[in-house]
Amino acid sequence: MKSKTKTVISLNNISKIYEGPPPVKAVDQISLDIKEGDLVSIVGESGSGKSTLLNMIGLLDSTTEGHIEIEGQDTSTLSDDQLSKFRGEKIGFIFQSFFLLPGLTAQENVAEGLLYQGIKREERLKRAAKVLKEVGLGDRLTHLPEELSGGQQQRVAIARALVQNPAFVLADEPTGNLDKESGDNILKILKELNKQGKTVIMITHNQNHAKKFKKVVKLVDGKIVA
Amino acid sequence: MVAFYGVKARRGRAALTSIGIGIGIAAIVAVTGISASGRADLLATLESLGTNLIKASPQAGFFGTQENLPDGVLGMVERIGPVQEVTSTTQTDLLVRRTDFISEFEGGGISTLVTRSELLDVVGGKLTEGRFINDALSDIPVTVLGSVTATRLGIRDLSIPTKILIENEWFGVVGILDELKIHPDLDRSVFIGYGVAKTLFNIDEEPTTIYVRSNPAYIEDVVEVLAPSMNPENPDQVSVSRPSDALEAQEAAEVAFTNLLLGLGSVALLVGGVAIANVMVMSVLERRMEIGVRRSIGATRKEIRYQFLLESVLLSGVGGLVGVLLGAGITLGYTEYSNIVFSIPILQVLGAIVLALLIGALSGVYPAIKASKIQPAEAVRK
Repeated sequence: MKSKTKTVISLNNISKIYEGPPPVKAVDQISLDIKEGDLVSIVGESGSGKSTLLNMIGLLDSTTEGHIEIEGQDTSTLSDDQLSKFRGEKIGFIFQSFFLLPGLTAQENVAEGLLYQGIKREERLKRAAKVLKEVGLGDRLTHLPEELSGGQQQRVAIARALVQNPAFVLADEPTGNLDKESGDNILKILKELNKQGKTVIMITHNQNHAKKFKKVVKLVDGKIVA
Repeated sequence: MVAFYGVKARRGRAALTSIGIGIGIAAIVAVTGISASGRADLLATLESLGTNLIKASPQAGFFGTQENLPDGVLGMVERIGPVQEVTSTTQTDLLVRRTDFISEFEGGGISTLVTRSELLDVVGGKLTEGRFINDALSDIPVTVLGSVTATRLGIRDLSIPTKILIENEWFGVVGILDELKIHPDLDRSVFIGYGVAKTLFNIDEEPTTIYVRSNPAYIEDVVEVLAPSMNPENPDQVSVSRPSDALEAQEAAEVAFTNLLLGLGSVALLVGGVAIANVMVMSVLERRMEIGVRRSIGATRKEIRYQFLLESVLLSGVGGLVGVLLGAGITLGYTEYSNIVFSIPILQVLGAIVLALLIGALSGVYPAIKASKIQPAEAVRK
């Protein structure tokens, strides 16, 4: 399976320094290759630089040193608008606090994922309904976020991340705010997505969850230690 | 449209935010509407009364004494070509009282005018009750009341025979005039015929005021020649005026007041704009998560900027629209209450809406730029 070994994300000696005072080096000269279809978990203590690293991989944050290549494209050469377009088309984000927009139904929240792709509202809603069914929320389309449980809200957030059919799914502690059963369900969905060919990178504190991933990256003080 | 989201998700706050703009626009629409209605009513009044009426009277003497016009003055005026109708009144100092129980020193500011039957037609007057003085009634002690006089004497209708005292003579009231908008002096008078004035009070037919209807095309010319025609020797002793001018002057004075109210409305708009800017800035701070999510799903800085800018325009637009309806409602209520013609200048209403949108856009610029500058990673930070 030649395609499975292709490097799709390449971190080349990247660092992130937050200007102080005092300056803080959140990520310290990390180099890492992620292959197509990898299932990667990033673990580490609070403040070890996990979220900063994930945000840089997801092009939500810039590097201070080094550069990131995604699918052979040096992202440091892209403009802010090009980065936005890249995120919209290639990367699906899942956040710990779900970040669903209040006042919008589950279906509308998922459809927002296609808002900036120039797709008409009717089509957006149709695709959103399809993805929500796939994550087991076909009967919750018209529910508002506050009418859903934490696990259901996270599944809506996953559906939003998947609706534009991204190549990469980046999840920042997606099970952090959930009970064990809901957390296990979310993990199952992510593993299933990986089986379908998506590259999944997840931050977690949960050692049991991390163990289930093919590749584990451990960070200490912004550096990879394992 | 994505700008609807912020308004839809925070309906209560959106409504409160729009109030300032709504009040400002309502004030502007109501002020212009009421002013326009007043103007429309004035034009309707002028049209019904005509602007071709000229009033001429002798200048008051040095000590404020009433001078008389020369003998045969009516004939002189009638000979002016474009003059269509002419009539006169004679001012007297006859005291008017409701009954003899009222002291002779309490006249109530009512004048007694001696006149002819043509007066009603020439000044464009109407009766609410009864009839006007005519040739048949000229010699008998009957009188017609001006609208203000009737109110002051407490006479609402003539369903029962009613008499009033003029000097010490009883006069039967045979008619009540409707309000004469451009002749307030006539509204405060009673009218009697020349015949009875001569018989009872020895008043001669010496006009103190002449009313002239002219061909409208030559009105300015008639105004010019009227004084020399009436008193060739001393034309400067004749005062000539067009009663419609007084209404137009009154309207001009009201414009200044209208401008003042418009100024106050503009202040309300400005305050509304600042309120929107303030709420939008707070909204940007509160909605960092939303901004982060939108950036993560592909929104560019420009799209975030447009979203907040349009949201601000939407808020003020809704406020403006509600303000227009409210202002129109106030104008309608006022015109109904005042019994004047309802008129709202469409151009000014459109202008008010455009102004509201402009204020919304200006108020939204700073918050929109602020929102677009938020780094996506900062926005989604836990």
